[in-house]
Amino acid sequence: MHPPTGNERLPGRPVSGFVPGSAAAAGPPPFAAGAPLMRPGAAAPFAPPTQQPGVPPPLAGASPAAPFGAAPPAAMGGYRGPPPPQGPFGTGPPPQGPFATASPPQGPFATASPPQGPFAKAPPPQGPFAAAPPSQGPFAAGPPSQGPFAAGPPSQGPFATAPPPFRHPPSLGQPQSPTGSGMPAPTYVRPPPVQSQPPPVQGYYPGVPSSNPQFPMSRPAYQPPMQTMPPPPMGPPSSYSNQPAYPTSGPPMGTLQSLVEDFQSLSVSSAPGSLDPGVDVKGLPRPLDGDEEPAKVFEAYPLNCHPRYFRLTTHTIPASQSLVSRWHLPLGAVVHPLAESPDGEEVPVVNFGSAGVIRCRRCRTYINPYATFADAGRKWRCNLCTLLNDVPGEYFCALDASGRRYDTDQRPELSKGTVEFVAPTEYMVRPPMPPSYFFLIDVSVSAVRSGLLEVVAKTIKSCLDDLLGFPRTQIGFLTFDSTLHFHNFKSSLSQPQMMVVADLDDVFLPLPDDLLVNLVDSRHVVESFLDSLPNMFHDNVNVESALGPALKAAFMVMGQIGGKLLVFQSTLPSLGIGRLRLRGDDVRAYGTDKEHILRVPEDPFYKQMAAEFTKNQIAVDIFSFSDKYCDIASLGSLAKYTGGQVYHYPSFQATTHGEKLKHELSRDLTRETAWESVMRIRCGKGVRFTTYHGHFMLRSTDLLALPAVDSDKAFAMQLSLEETLMTTQAVYFQVALLYTSSSGERRIRVHTAAAPVVTDLSEMYRQADTGAIVSLLARIAVENSLSDKLDSVRQQLQLKLVRSLKEYRNLYVVQHRIGGRLIYPESLRYLPLYILAICKSLALRGGYADVSLDERCAAGFSMMILPARRLLNFIYPSLYRLDEVLTMEPGRIDGSLKRLPLTLQCLDTAGLYLLDDGFTFLVWLGRMLPPELVNDILGVSLANFPDLSKIQLRECNNYHSRNFMTVLRTLREKDFSCYQLPRVVRQGEQPREGFLLLSNLVEDQMAGTSSYMDWILQIHRQTQSS
Amino acid sequence: MSVELILWLFSFASVMVLVGLTAYQLICLSDLEFDYINPYDSSSRINAVVIIEYALQAVLCAAFLLTLNWFPFLVMAPVTYYHVKLYMNRKHLVDVTEIFRQLHGEKKYRMIKLAFYFGLFIITIYRLVMTAVLLFIDEDANLVETRTI
Repeated sequence: MHPPTGNERLPGRPVSGFVPGSAAAAGPPPFAAGAPLMRPGAAAPFAPPTQQPGVPPPLAGASPAAPFGAAPPAAMGGYRGPPPPQGPFGTGPPPQGPFATASPPQGPFATASPPQGPFAKAPPPQGPFAAAPPSQGPFAAGPPSQGPFAAGPPSQGPFATAPPPFRHPPSLGQPQSPTGSGMPAPTYVRPPPVQSQPPPVQGYYPGVPSSNPQFPMSRPAYQPPMQTMPPPPMGPPSSYSNQPAYPTSGPPMGTLQSLVEDFQSLSVSSAPGSLDPGVDVKGLPRPLDGDEEPAKVFEAYPLNCHPRYFRLTTHTIPASQSLVSRWHLPLGAVVHPLAESPDGEEVPVVNFGSAGVIRCRRCRTYINPYATFADAGRKWRCNLCTLLNDVPGEYFCALDASGRRYDTDQRPELSKGTVEFVAPTEYMVRPPMPPSYFFLIDVSVSAVRSGLLEVVAKTIKSCLDDLLGFPRTQIGFLTFDSTLHFHNFKSSLSQPQMMVVADLDDVFLPLPDDLLVNLVDSRHVVESFLDSLPNMFHDNVNVESALGPALKAAFMVMGQIGGKLLVFQSTLPSLGIGRLRLRGDDVRAYGTDKEHILRVPEDPFYKQMAAEFTKNQIAVDIFSFSDKYCDIASLGSLAKYTGGQVYHYPSFQATTHGEKLKHELSRDLTRETAWESVMRIRCGKGVRFTTYHGHFMLRSTDLLALPAVDSDKAFAMQLSLEETLMTTQAVYFQVALLYTSSSGERRIRVHTAAAPVVTDLSEMYRQADTGAIVSLLARIAVENSLSDKLDSVRQQLQLKLVRSLKEYRNLYVVQHRIGGRLIYPESLRYLPLYILAICKSLALRGGYADVSLDERCAAGFSMMILPARRLLNFIYPSLYRLDEVLTMEPGRIDGSLKRLPLTLQCLDTAGLYLLDDGFTFLVWLGRMLPPELVNDILGVSLANFPDLSKIQLRECNNYHSRNFMTVLRTLREKDFSCYQLPRVVRQGEQPREGFLLLSNLVEDQMAGTSSYMDWILQIHRQTQSS
Repeated sequence: MSVELILWLFSFASVMVLVGLTAYQLICLSDLEFDYINPYDSSSRINAVVIIEYALQAVLCAAFLLTLNWFPFLVMAPVTYYHVKLYMNRKHLVDVTEIFRQLHGEKKYRMIKLAFYFGLFIITIYRLVMTAVLLFIDEDANLVETRTI
């Protein structure tokens, strides 16, 4: 497919100078230079279709093809209007994108059949593209192929239309049959939803009358696979007795097919009186492959942004309010605007220059691949609000026959779902800020004793070279205990000057500037400060911590510029404004209505401060190290409303946690960050985003203010329907993030996506995305836990699951007597387990004694920002068996790591297991494990080292240890955003084993919670009861 | 001028002010909803008048109690109690970080309060006119009596 596409680009440039009037004169030379085959398509916009046969002399050899060659572009023209109604998956407007892109390359097929050779070899990856040839290829092959053509357009779906050309061209029939049979039968037989053909298309096909007689003859070609289709795995076959009726009527086939595809069931019936619950525990679905990104959606909608940036909980929009009310799961999206893209897929940057950023006049949507052009390219129609906008003169380009701009392939904003625009000065309220970092370090006695200062100082020093925005970076430090210590980094000094302010009630700055300085100018002063920092306070015995005044001081220093404020807090703030009380050790609060108060900020000071910080473009990251309670709930609200992040290192000790802190701090300092940003999500008429979940501050009803945002943060939001009945065919979404890059450029990152509007609940279930649903549900649950009891939060989650499965059951249970079975859609097969896992997650599990309040809050803050993939791994960690892997060749290790179900039954006493939840590694040593292996890995004899909590794993000079470290490295490389700290626990080592490992085995029964099997039974019972 | 008339004149004025303050808060909230002002301005404007409103309402309630006007006092007492409760829990101010989430609730709360103050306004007007008329009739009666004698 690619060479012809390349040819098509050649004429693309000269054409931009086209004037409709002079088309005939200007047309031929470029095309003669390029591929002559392009001509019919290219000339089409300038000549009525009826003139087509006379235009292209090069095609004279294939004279019967000529009228057909002209027809499809004309048909494309029909797509300019509102997109045609859609079949379930691939027929919406997006496939028309590939349709349009694919149509020129079809030229070669029109004249010669050999090019179809490679085509035939490659169908599976080319899914959507395969849809194009049927309209072209068959015509070239001559009259016999008109059959599929006549049948083709009505049967939309890319896969459905693909087979005919493989079958029909006589010369290719044989070699292609394997391909045809390789296609999955169910999709192959997709019924022709007749309405999905745009009416105008009919009129443009000159060959329609002659093809009509062949229509019935072409049908049988479709039917055999239909009739040989395997019956659905469950349900009595008698329910399909009306099957012969299907070939004649289109739509019912969809139902049949959906049954084949969708629903899965679990037998949960037990014989009366038997102890066996009747559930095959091993057969329960488990997400051992981690997150499944909805890649199918991306294939069907290649103009959408990649699902890593934007995922809908179900990639459909319900057409009516009643459908929404029957969809009991949240309807919304998970947005990860700065997700790291793999190498080679960098986001293209577009600079519009003097034309300015092209946006819709009314709804301010940015130009995107779904925008259509009209009036010979002088106008463009906004796909969100359908307003016709003028195309600026500098941006003008002529259209081809299909209404597509010639330069579409050269312009990423018209061909890719994700682009970045360079924003001109209208998008700035002030000159782009320099990246600035201000460190607020608690130097009270606990910080000194734990060795925190040393680790922090060393890490910052090692990162100085990699800080973002090299020549402009600003840096500053403020240390505090019961007083505030300002440090003067004036570049003319050789040593930093320390100034102590003891007045906590009325904080003032001892110096007007030089507290936040340019790193390049004052590099030597900063370095000498970092060298002396650990010693400066090493005999400090002050136990107080005046965080509140320190925050105020930091605000005064940074207020003008903004930037990132990193707070290193190791005790409970005890002095000045914002001092906090010890709370959270009150057992009695749990289970009462007052329980949630422990999880919300105690002092409004922190919220007000956070609001002020956001206003001045300051993002706060909290690093908390206390071994006692330090009220993460209050401190975390600083991060929550400023787009920051909470790092919690309970009982920090430099020797054990130092490595983790070092990695995470340097990641925080050096990852690509978008500064002073705002994000807005626009969507088409009829839907509206109502609530947002994540770390940000709402500046207006739909504008998220994000002082700093980076690749580790995702946001979730919920949708609601504004109209009772949606009349459009598709709804478009556009995420726009306006930010200042570290290099000081103002940029707009735009992600565009389309989703079809459906009227069918089963279609919504089919397109459901478990990752996004779980992500959204977890965030809602964590937010609810701030205003409700944990117990009722968990009940709400369960209720949502039950309601949705009950609704799904009602769709099918009438036709099929599936009494003793729990049925669920294939797309949601992991949902019950994930919801169980959310209920057992660190943030929501148990009650007072199960998790300390700080850890619970810290986990809650983490869950609010984690992208879907990491969240799923956090709530359902990966468990690997390592003892066998360790004896392998190092090269084969990565492939042989297999995830195991999270249940105690998987743990063999003679095994060594590793649990990875994305934040820690837990190494579990079986009781019967050979002592040599243990000693090799730990580097010490287990018998001489009773306290495993203090052990550090480092590479020892032996085979097992090296392999073990390779495993850890491999797993860490999968995700750099967090450094998993290894912790070792022995089998039967209570109580550590209990709260480290057993509480993470979410499929097992723990105190007061059900096991996976009980959970399924419980859900099943509840879905059955009305 | 009797004490009664002064009381009702005072209550008339203060209920007018209360209605005005509540309407002002409502306007701030709906401006915020339609993106005319930012949440920082909106919440600081609302928070600036909340205490005034509470104080005025409490004073009015106390005035009714001291003048032994039981009916208006009983009407106002629950609201006063509610205000005191909010104030003690430090929930009387609008939270700028969560203002959008609470927008609908806050609007509804102020709508109800506005309706309540309107009701109070009607009572006040009625009682004010009653008192004034009775006073004049009394005076007239005195006048008539002095003339006839």
